[in-house]
Amino acid sequence: MRLNKPIVAVSTAALFALAACGGGGTDGSTGDGDQTEPTFKEGGGTGQGKDPTRSEGPAEPIEGAQEGGTVKVISFSGLETMDPTEAYYTNTAAILQGLVVRSLTQYVYDQETGDMVLIPDLATDLGRPNDDFTEWTFTIRDGVKYENGQEVTAEDVAYGIKRSMDRQTFPNGAPYSNEYFLDGDKYKGPYRSGTDYDGVVVDGMDLTIKMATPFADMPYWGAFPAISPIPPGKASDPAKYALHPLATGPYKFAEYTPQKALTLVKNDQWDPDTDPGRHQYVDGYEMRFDVESAKIDQIMLKDEGDAKNTLSNDSVTVANYLKFKEESPDRLVLGSNPCTFYWAPDYREVTDKKVRQAIAYAYPYLDAYAAGGRIEGVTRIPGTNIMPPGIPGREEYNPLPDHEPGSTDPDKARQLLEEADAVGYELKWLYATDDPLSVDVKDTVKAALEDAGFKASPVATTLDQFTTVQDDLNSDINIRSAGWCSDWPSGASWFPVILQSTNLKEEGIGLNYSVFSEKAIDKEIKQIQTLSLEDQPAAWNELDQKILEDYFPIIVLAYGGEAQMRGSNVNGFNIDPTFGEPTWKDIWLSQ
Amino acid sequence: MTVADLEVLGAGDAETAPPVDASGKKITGRSPTRIAFDRLRRDKVAVVSATIVFVLALLGLFAPLISDLFGVYVDKPPSRPATQYLLYGYPRPEYGPPFGGLTWDHPLGLSPGTAYDNFAGLLYGIRTSFTVALLTTLLTTTIGVTIGLMAGFARGALDKVISFVIDVFLSFPFLLGALALAPIITNRFATDAAKLEKAQFISLISVLVLFTWMGLARLIRGQVLSLREREFIQAAQVIGVPTSRILFKELLPNLVAPIVVTISLSMPAFVAAEAGLAYLGIGLTGIPSLGQTIVRAQGYYEQYGLYLWAPVVTIMLLVMALNLLGDSVRDAFDPSTRR
Repeated sequence: MRLNKPIVAVSTAALFALAACGGGGTDGSTGDGDQTEPTFKEGGGTGQGKDPTRSEGPAEPIEGAQEGGTVKVISFSGLETMDPTEAYYTNTAAILQGLVVRSLTQYVYDQETGDMVLIPDLATDLGRPNDDFTEWTFTIRDGVKYENGQEVTAEDVAYGIKRSMDRQTFPNGAPYSNEYFLDGDKYKGPYRSGTDYDGVVVDGMDLTIKMATPFADMPYWGAFPAISPIPPGKASDPAKYALHPLATGPYKFAEYTPQKALTLVKNDQWDPDTDPGRHQYVDGYEMRFDVESAKIDQIMLKDEGDAKNTLSNDSVTVANYLKFKEESPDRLVLGSNPCTFYWAPDYREVTDKKVRQAIAYAYPYLDAYAAGGRIEGVTRIPGTNIMPPGIPGREEYNPLPDHEPGSTDPDKARQLLEEADAVGYELKWLYATDDPLSVDVKDTVKAALEDAGFKASPVATTLDQFTTVQDDLNSDINIRSAGWCSDWPSGASWFPVILQSTNLKEEGIGLNYSVFSEKAIDKEIKQIQTLSLEDQPAAWNELDQKILEDYFPIIVLAYGGEAQMRGSNVNGFNIDPTFGEPTWKDIWLSQ
Repeated sequence: MTVADLEVLGAGDAETAPPVDASGKKITGRSPTRIAFDRLRRDKVAVVSATIVFVLALLGLFAPLISDLFGVYVDKPPSRPATQYLLYGYPRPEYGPPFGGLTWDHPLGLSPGTAYDNFAGLLYGIRTSFTVALLTTLLTTTIGVTIGLMAGFARGALDKVISFVIDVFLSFPFLLGALALAPIITNRFATDAAKLEKAQFISLISVLVLFTWMGLARLIRGQVLSLREREFIQAAQVIGVPTSRILFKELLPNLVAPIVVTISLSMPAFVAAEAGLAYLGIGLTGIPSLGQTIVRAQGYYEQYGLYLWAPVVTIMLLVMALNLLGDSVRDAFDPSTRR
């Protein structure tokens, strides 16, 4: 899953990312006492549970919820594209999935556990796989209508799926249909390959999807807006549809200015009886984007007039966090997002495991969070495992047993370097000269690495060039900074993506920033994907541990957290840990 | 021009016995520069601004000494880890503002996030501002005057060519040039931090010089055009004085006034430009600069005002003092203002 802001923000986020101290379990304090109150929601999961039985609408009413009112939303990040097929940023996907577009399945927030649960949406259950997960059948429920009154059919869902296979018309969309579905490499969507596609078979209201490789996580992919009903033909011409996708959920587009503003109003064709997950308490949403962060903080801090009905899906800036925390802690909405930020030494160049471990000891986690404008324990949580907390099957382990996550131990690092006969080892990583925070982080990290006996040679670039240089296999750097967020709570959205050998000549570095390549691990990844749904979570966790303990290819710097803000009238606002975005489905206003 | 007349007169007077005026005081010949300085000394605004500039210049000049005296560092926390001084990004109360009182250990507090000393940052920032402004002024003046003299004195083709070049440079948008050049320099010297620092410094000065020498060149050319028709120049040409001598001994002394005025007014412009470019992220990054501090501080204007206002006020003071001083210098050198 991509973070709000495209390429640049992903890379800068990764740049600022720094750190490591037990996200789940330890008290998270590493010497600074009052600085590290555990604000991060423990177990703040990313969708631990599935509940195929919650298929009957309407959704359980929220206690005390009132109807009416318009919620205002302010954010710095604009909406990249609102075509359901292409919405792959956390903010666009969360808004579409939560309020506008219904998919096969959906996540709902569980008040008690603070976690998300996967339940049926358009389908009547979570899908019925065959034995080896190469065929999934979903039954579409009756009585669901688009905003224009037209009935939603299984054909429409099939069309949406076909559309999701077009990587050229929708270059920024999630690629999973192509990766798993039958002929994913050949079929190029209805606009380029015609509507005849063998991968999806419609029989009445039944929809069968055929896979090229076993795909046990289909129900999760089914929650993406990309797997939603889209009317075939002219009605969904890509250029126009992105400006006004037909709503099947409780709200529909009224006005939309790309990157700037979006107004949603009630969709009177949405029938609560068909929807087990969504509510329609408020009359509508007025969203404004491109608002400066400092301004957002001020509006939310003052909480006057309209601001009472306002929420922001941005985290409060570090400059205003303390004030917010002191003045109105109840209006800070804390939670986790499913992201891990890590440093990826180039596996081809930094070949000694001891050197890679030495980096983990030498890294100034807490100082680097602070220099990068992140808040320890709130927006950056020191970590150990590759997979962030909340993924089913994840169990905390420490690949460096004598290393307290988040701590810096230059002596131990130096000792490891001496053992590896690599004192003075040169580390080269990128920073952006036109971003003062990036420069500050660079200075901090450089000093710490030099303390531990490394030779630190940060390489200068600009924000503009950052991704290009970092993605270039031949760049003169041997460490890349990266961040990855799960698309769904499973190891399947981690290891095949970020630690599986890639064909360097053909695909380039892809998302495998450490250029990690071990045949044994590749084999194991393939093998786990064929396991049954029950066995997979534990297997992924074992693999996580095996990779770090045997190879230590990446240095986990931190997990991500959110500290978003709500006006005093906004209720039902929690952080959806699958996206790190508001739980849009539950929002209501007190009058 | 009056200035020239005065000087010619003055030179003549010096050779004869000093005449005595009605009251019996000696009438001494005074050079125009001398007159101007006398006027400046009587101008209160000029004296105050000059003092401010002088004090700031001293602070910048002795930045390393003063930092040592206070025991503060410009580019690192007092000791690592920096987080021991911080609380949610802010300096802890015992290390001064915004939550604690003034401490002499860190007179202007510590920077949020990094715990660098703000006072040291300010001193070195002033140093950078002055260095850049002085170097740039020196270079623009030299280039501008030389080219202006050449263009003005050489009739015909050379003048046309030079004028055309001036026009070409004038038509370049300055900001666009700076924006385009910065990433090129960064990526060219990406791997060598020390070289990058130097390259950025040189490129900053080059960009500033490249886009500002034309003003002075044009002004000088215009002055020379009118001066070269004057009798004393023509006389010099007739008796065969070499061109270089005419340019530098006859013409240049008559151009002192416009040059001084231009210098005094371009200094503040360069100080502001340096801070502005640093603010935009296309100026210096390895060297402390007030503009950079301002970018970092702008989010803190409410909770930690001092962090933002210290560099802002310093730049304001410096630019205003230089500007007022420049105005006074212009007035003092302008013979048409008699006060």
